[in-house]
Amino acid sequence: MAQVVLEHVDKIYPNGVHAVKDANLTVEDKEFTVLLGPSGCGKTTTLRMIAGLEEITKGTIKIDGKVVNDVEPKDRDIAMVFQNYALYPHMTVYQNMAFGLKLRKFPKDEIDKRVREAARILGIEELLDRKPKQLSGGQRQRVAVGRAIVRNPKVFLFDEPLSNLDAKLRVQMRSELKKLHHRLEATIIYVTHDQIEAMTMADKIVIMRDGVIQQIGGPHEIYNKPANIFVAGFIGSPAMNFVNSTVIRGDGGLWIKASGFQVKVPKEYEDALADYIDKEIIFGIRPENIYDKFFARDAQPYNTITGRVDVVEPLGSETLLHVTVGEDEIVAKVDPKTKAEVDQPIDLVFDMTAMHAFDKETQKAIL
Amino acid sequence: MKKRKILKIIRITVMWLVALVWILPFLGVFMTAIRPMDEILDGWWNFKVFNPTLENFSKAWTHPTASLAKGTVNSLIVAIPATVIPLLIATMAGYGFSRYDFPSKKLTFVLIILTLALPQQMIAVPVFQLLNAFGLVDRYLGLILIHSAWGIPWITFFMRNFFSTIPRNIEEAARIDGASDFLVFFRIIFPLALPGIASAAALQFTWVWSDFFLALITIYSPEKLLATQRIPLMRGVYHVDWGLLAAGAIMVMIVPLLVYAVLQKQYVKGMVGWSLK
Repeated sequence: MAQVVLEHVDKIYPNGVHAVKDANLTVEDKEFTVLLGPSGCGKTTTLRMIAGLEEITKGTIKIDGKVVNDVEPKDRDIAMVFQNYALYPHMTVYQNMAFGLKLRKFPKDEIDKRVREAARILGIEELLDRKPKQLSGGQRQRVAVGRAIVRNPKVFLFDEPLSNLDAKLRVQMRSELKKLHHRLEATIIYVTHDQIEAMTMADKIVIMRDGVIQQIGGPHEIYNKPANIFVAGFIGSPAMNFVNSTVIRGDGGLWIKASGFQVKVPKEYEDALADYIDKEIIFGIRPENIYDKFFARDAQPYNTITGRVDVVEPLGSETLLHVTVGEDEIVAKVDPKTKAEVDQPIDLVFDMTAMHAFDKETQKAIL
Repeated sequence: MKKRKILKIIRITVMWLVALVWILPFLGVFMTAIRPMDEILDGWWNFKVFNPTLENFSKAWTHPTASLAKGTVNSLIVAIPATVIPLLIATMAGYGFSRYDFPSKKLTFVLIILTLALPQQMIAVPVFQLLNAFGLVDRYLGLILIHSAWGIPWITFFMRNFFSTIPRNIEEAARIDGASDFLVFFRIIFPLALPGIASAAALQFTWVWSDFFLALITIYSPEKLLATQRIPLMRGVYHVDWGLLAAGAIMVMIVPLLVYAVLQKQYVKGMVGWSLK
């Protein structure tokens, strides 16, 4: 098992596309790191560069302290699970899993032991004699994982491995992969565009956009302290509300003034916002930090706003309200027992301790 | 509903008509081959007297001056290497074109495609002179080389297209598993490409087997003549034994049909392209 380090890595394709820009990243030994971002953000390219399937244009990649820029994929001691599984269609499940070991000249009984052990862990023992086309998507997925774990490599690379599975199976495989990580104590780098996969499985999340790493941090850090508007909007569902507003000095401290409401900044954030008094910022608050006043514990005039309900979306465990406040639309995730009705006014309470503020120019987080 | 039914009937009728037009001449040849001369003089479709016989076949097979037995052997001597050699070269070339980047790749490929447009008649004289210069006229090696050269471009084109239906990820997985380029090709790609290779083999073999023109300009010693060259020789100067000619033609046709029958399953897959399903 090993540490993976990327230092100032760039990837420019021959057609001029700059897929990855100055990526710096350290994946610690035994860490489950997720590269997360929308499609085309460079996360898969980054993974493929670590695998050795893409040459890097600039920078260095180290695995276990050794620079691997010019090392062939087969000599990097990594295993990769592909989105479409990439099983060898003409080989049985057993042969698929044994192929890598055979090429590495492992003794026959060792190969057999490892393949059967991996098959047992993944629950595919009865499938060993089948060909990939006789397997379901979930089973193929397991074989692909099995092919990776028999080799016992330093690093596992996963390229959106769950995206071809149906929703139910995805949830199941998610927890299985997490268990597997505990069991193998492996270094895993996992690419996905699904924030739920990232949040649930990762020790560390790397958020990318347009080839640039936006933020690196644990799931809680990324959620609670997003580095910029992109990260704030990408993580969380429904997405964070962003409202153009101005910081003003008013009754007893600083206030956020938007087109349709005015709320008070908690004392502890005043220092950070001191430079922005009378300037425009982007105020952010997550739907889950907005409450129907009827159910709110701490409703005060200075954190309560009034708007008009546009849409009510009951989800069972909670209800989403789309509310127009002045010129802005805000989404609130409120108690399902809410009495909110379309076209009726509603009072909403902001949990201002969970507020966010972003610089309008740089889009970076102020708080 | 009714309209759909009528359309279906029209469609099936047209299909049958086309099939009939296609199969009728063959049926004529077949009937001519299995009936004695005097029965077919009034037309093979005349069934007042019908005494089928295999005599024409045995006569053609053991014909004194143009024996098809010898012709079949000669044709195989040419057709087998003239199928294997271009397949071997063009499969690898097709793989290269589908997977690797190299300078002037596009130009090279366009040049290869251009040669597909060359009519054989145009190259007859230069090819003959070339063979003559190398002392390969009237030798099978010369003909095999021409057929190979003629087959390589289209097989390269065909195989390149086939390879591009195989997902690259499979190769990448093999590469990570520890396979070199060589092993990737022979352990992964080659087995997956078998349907494509089988299709190309069937087509190339048929082409070489039924070729008359190239054989005519390169092979002329009577004992070396190929099967296709022997059929016209069965025509007498004063008398044409249609039954004999028809039997000879059928026997020559049967070989490619056998090849198709053997490779049929792979052939269909090859035409559809690769898939995991």
